[in-house]
Amino acid sequence: MIDIVGLSKARGGTRVLADVSLRAGEREVTAIVGPSGGGKSTLLRCLNGLEAFDAGAVTIGEHRMQPGPPPARVLERVRRDVGMVFQQFNLFPHLSVLENVALGPRVVSRLPRAEAHGMAEAQLARVGMAAFAAARPATLSGGQQQRVAIARALALGPRVMLFDEPTSALDPAMSAEVMETIVSLARGGQTMVVVTHDHAFARRAATQVVELVAGRITRTGPPAAVLGL
Amino acid sequence: MLVPLVIGMSAPSGLEGGELAAVVARGELVWAADQEGGGPHVFPDPDAPQRLTGFEVELAELIAAELGVKARFQQGQWDRLPLLLGHPADCVINGIELLPERRRDYHCSRPYFAYGLQLIARRDGPLDTVETLTAPGPAGRWRVGVLTGSAAELFLRSHPELEVDAIGYDGTIDSLEQVKSGVLDAALMDDCIFNFYADRFAGLRAVGRPFGGGYYTVLTARDTPRLSTAIDEALGRIIADGRLKTLYDRWDLGGRQQILALRDAAEIPVATRRSLRELAIETLPLLLSAAGMTVLLACLSFPLAIFAGLGVALGRLYGPAWLRPLLTGFVEVVRGTPLMLQLYAIFFLLPKVGLALPALVAAVAGLALNYAAYESEIYRAGLKAVPLGQFEAAVALGMTKWQALRHVVVPQAVRLVMPPVTNDFIALFKDTSVCSVITVIELTKRYSVLALSTGRIVELAVITAILYLAMSWPLSLLSRRFETGQEQRP
Repeated sequence: MIDIVGLSKARGGTRVLADVSLRAGEREVTAIVGPSGGGKSTLLRCLNGLEAFDAGAVTIGEHRMQPGPPPARVLERVRRDVGMVFQQFNLFPHLSVLENVALGPRVVSRLPRAEAHGMAEAQLARVGMAAFAAARPATLSGGQQQRVAIARALALGPRVMLFDEPTSALDPAMSAEVMETIVSLARGGQTMVVVTHDHAFARRAATQVVELVAGRITRTGPPAAVLGL
Repeated sequence: MLVPLVIGMSAPSGLEGGELAAVVARGELVWAADQEGGGPHVFPDPDAPQRLTGFEVELAELIAAELGVKARFQQGQWDRLPLLLGHPADCVINGIELLPERRRDYHCSRPYFAYGLQLIARRDGPLDTVETLTAPGPAGRWRVGVLTGSAAELFLRSHPELEVDAIGYDGTIDSLEQVKSGVLDAALMDDCIFNFYADRFAGLRAVGRPFGGGYYTVLTARDTPRLSTAIDEALGRIIADGRLKTLYDRWDLGGRQQILALRDAAEIPVATRRSLRELAIETLPLLLSAAGMTVLLACLSFPLAIFAGLGVALGRLYGPAWLRPLLTGFVEVVRGTPLMLQLYAIFFLLPKVGLALPALVAAVAGLALNYAAYESEIYRAGLKAVPLGQFEAAVALGMTKWQALRHVVVPQAVRLVMPPVTNDFIALFKDTSVCSVITVIELTKRYSVLALSTGRIVELAVITAILYLAMSWPLSLLSRRFETGQEQRP
């Protein structure tokens, strides 16, 4: 499903990723852990082309990305198959919760409005946010916003979900509520890559853990092997 | 615009009788004229453009010399010259026609020049007699250019039976240029003006004989009787001893016929003063329709400015590399030059390369282009204020760059810039007054024409100010609503 080979990237003369190779199969949950500034988020952002890389190759499903800025056509196809959830939620403040989730299906998949809304309602129900469909994002708690962001990414039916420190901006209670949502997705067989500092989550939900330090993979394997028991 | 006019009127214009002594003590007679009005009256010397020449320049010097002082020129816009009386000018000498309304509102000297109205058209055009104007032309009503506020304009407006749209210009040369380029069918002006410029406009000709003429007079303020009498007597001496005849002969203005015509000049009656009610009944419909033009200009040009401005901002931030410097250049040129000059270029220069736009279209295009440059800067700031994460979240969903801009970034930027944009709409409302330079009669222009023809400068200023407020007040409320709406939105 995901095949990263020899990925390297430098930014302003500094090496951010050095010869990173990684494989993840379908239905696998990969947790990327490690200290801040180790290149975790950059690696994740290379997987859907938000950042270009200098060497190596990334294959997701049948899409293959080469070094340098990928052509727009490749990017649009990759991104339809790869959903992303950001640390800062990045919900669209000018749209209601329902419209946030329905925008992708409407604009990208070109579904009629009614159909897109129906699809969005189903995704909101999946993350327990159906009751807030008409609300504006700003009126929701951080945890609720992040669950809407998950529903928004799921609405396009991605084969892979990327999570970039999805709970770092949340207090422990809200963090737990978002983690429950992600764990239940994992149990449902969603392929995902999660950048996280939350080792408890990694132990509970990950099938493999990758530790990234200073742009290099230092350890990789099942949670118990990498993180200890 | 209005406030300085009102203040100018209330400024002291010389104590009764003391004003002549003031002129003598100062050693200068300040006379007002508009060099844009052109020759043969007052115009920049072609050989030394910083120096003024013209038969009225010499006449002013003769009159000043009679008073024992030097003449000093004061520039003003022709249709507003009388507003300069008292401060800073002592008198106006600039082809001001002797009319009953002028005798009511100002002191008018004895006539110093006799003029006739001359119709001018292209040599190859369909106008061959003045009578042709009584029936519609090939393209409907004839379009005839006149100097705003001149006797020619009054003549056309007081003859509604003519199939003519009188179009007001600030300079006579402008209207001749527009006849030459085909924007106008004809121009109507004092005969001496066309005689003076006939060589320069070889493609134009005088149609028929001059008609409906009158006399020029020196204007002074009503409350400066001694100065008025002194100027009148000075003029009498200059005529009696033949100096005026010599002057007119030198300017090829037919000295002998002029002196004969001045001698036979009939007394011009004094117009009666209207009551406030009559004034309102007479002027309100004109002011309201001019206000309608102001609204029309603003409401047509601003939406165009908004869309063009957004386009320019998007192009500069997200467009192809070759486009960005072009758009930056557009913004800098438009912001760095006056709106009046841009309107002038669109209306008077484009016809020279074969693109003659109707005045309203030129006005809307000019305002829209000018404001597009300013709006684009506001939008650029608004687009940059939307966090990058919004754009990333949109493209991460698989949207293209332009889809992300359209559905996510631009709607947020538009909300952010609503208050400054509404503010600019109010500014544009008032900037529409600049369009009078390209013959569009909007509220300010109509006010200034009416104020001069009726002499009720203060009363009309108040009415005009109320009309402007009535138009901009709802916009201010709207702007405030956007602002509070934004404060409530976290």
